[in-house]
Amino acid sequence: MSYSPSGIDAAIALLGIGILVLALRRDLILKLLGLGLINSSTILFLVSIRFTPDAAIPILPVRDAGIVADPLPQAVVLSAIVINFAILALALVFVMILVERYHTTDSERIESEVAAEQGGEG
Amino acid sequence: MILPLLPLSHAFLGFLSIAWGRSARATLICAFLFDAAAIGLYYAGSRWFGPVFVGGWKGPVGIALAFDPVSLAFLILGVLLELAVAVYVWREQRRPYFFMLLHALFAAAYALILAQDLFNIYVILELLTLTSFLLVAYDRRARQVWASLKYLLLASLGMSLFLLGAAIAYGYTGSFNLAEIRTGIAGSPDGPWIAACAALLVAGVAVKAGIFSFSLWLPAAHSTASTAISALLSGFVINMGVVVLIRLDSVFRLDLPLLVLGAVTGIAGAAYAIASLDVKRLLAFSTLSQIGYLLVGLSLSGGAALTGVLAYAIAHGSVKGLLFLAAGESSRAVGSTLIRDLIGGRRRIPTGVRFGLLVGILGIIGIPPLAVYVAKGAILASGKGGIDQAILIALGVGSAASFVKLIPLLRPWNRVRAPSRTGALWVLVLPVVLFAPLAVRLFPDIPSPTVWSGGFLWKGFATIGAGLLLGRFLLHRPLPLPQRIFRAEFGVLAILAGFLLIYLLLGGV
Repeated sequence: MSYSPSGIDAAIALLGIGILVLALRRDLILKLLGLGLINSSTILFLVSIRFTPDAAIPILPVRDAGIVADPLPQAVVLSAIVINFAILALALVFVMILVERYHTTDSERIESEVAAEQGGEG
Repeated sequence: MILPLLPLSHAFLGFLSIAWGRSARATLICAFLFDAAAIGLYYAGSRWFGPVFVGGWKGPVGIALAFDPVSLAFLILGVLLELAVAVYVWREQRRPYFFMLLHALFAAAYALILAQDLFNIYVILELLTLTSFLLVAYDRRARQVWASLKYLLLASLGMSLFLLGAAIAYGYTGSFNLAEIRTGIAGSPDGPWIAACAALLVAGVAVKAGIFSFSLWLPAAHSTASTAISALLSGFVINMGVVVLIRLDSVFRLDLPLLVLGAVTGIAGAAYAIASLDVKRLLAFSTLSQIGYLLVGLSLSGGAALTGVLAYAIAHGSVKGLLFLAAGESSRAVGSTLIRDLIGGRRRIPTGVRFGLLVGILGIIGIPPLAVYVAKGAILASGKGGIDQAILIALGVGSAASFVKLIPLLRPWNRVRAPSRTGALWVLVLPVVLFAPLAVRLFPDIPSPTVWSGGFLWKGFATIGAGLLLGRFLLHRPLPLPQRIFRAEFGVLAILAGFLLIYLLLGGV
């Protein structure tokens, strides 16, 4: 198994930052940015975990018959990027609906207003 | 060769429902007929249900689909709820878009029960999550949108963890295929990377599967969605996480984490259910506690235990669907979902709905001839005794105790004639009542003589009795449970803590 250690380190650092933003910032837009960081970190991780140094591009015909890079992570990453894009777009629409209603992007304030509307149980 | 058609037919019907406009509701009946025909074909011994590699690529790049007893059980549950929801929404003036979303949900679910590789499972789980978000927030009420957004944030984090786990598995074995991963890690099943991989995968799925400290979004989402959607989410969609856990359990050694998570989920779910004041919230928490029961069953490795788990998933799915529909109809008659108001206005609940509630409550606390008793018996019978027996009995007591609050709803047995949609209730009452004779055909592995022996009957009644007494005792003594943990910020931290717990239990350090 060959992989890129620096790529994996960077991915884990990005993941940590993303989770901290998601857990500690109350602003919904910042939360979504944190989610974007988390998604990017998984993509970086996927690409790094099968990284082969000095490999040929995996497009036929392969010019030199030495080491060829693994094409599967790239195909997988493409699907993951599209899915993450769809989810972020949907989340932004939901944030828009909430902002129209409550005029704030602060998650604590939205939470307490929603709880007040339905009477007690958060 | 019929396997890809199961999800694809739903995708096609989704487009058709947009094209048909006002008669879109008929597409759900079409889907039901098609899926029921597929189950019939399987039982007739058709050769069309062999494993398929989509696109013809084999090995690590192929997308493998297979139909096994797990797929069959969840297909049966899906078909039951499909019919119930179709009948329930028949008279609601729903737009075609609603039916398209339902078809997308079923397409994703049926693709998931066939999927045999991690990346395919990831994509389908994301699709399921997306359609569930849209369905929870379908009526655009602010609290629905907020519940849905919290669900989206936590589920998206969970899916990222799942993808990281899949990436480690791929880096280690060079394949996403579950069978190839199993052989790939067979040489060193206990390394720290394998533990991290398994912990990431389980933590990711746990967010979707209604497991406590991961699925803190669940009570809000399941209780604010409209009635039919709640029934579908709590009865069927939540089980999709369990399907993935069953698949992961065949690759990694997850017995210990599943036992611990099951016990925690079951007890926390029951405690919150006992304390909740809103009937839909009570049912949502009861789903958590039942998922705990399923996980404990899953941790008892072995074929008979798996059969018990599948039977339990079908039994719980139909009972919970029935309860959500009946509770929705009751609160429509009374005009409130608070248990206090429902009991105050119980004379307005139509007789048919009340009968549905009766069957649902008796069913879920595990009264003998009904569905949940048989499935619980099957799980209990496959246990080795000791700690898991004790946990299972404690969870049974908890689930009986959580429904004590609803018993006054049934008390004055007066006839109330009011327009109500009882057709959908009958669709689910029948399988709950007839489960015992049907299970003999469906699950030949269930040890029927043991389940119906005097000792088991006695144990069942004793568990229910203890639960009712406990519930009666706690009726006017509110448990001091924190409600703040259901905020989005806490949910993120809870997922991380849960991941670390699983990692430690798998011996990663």
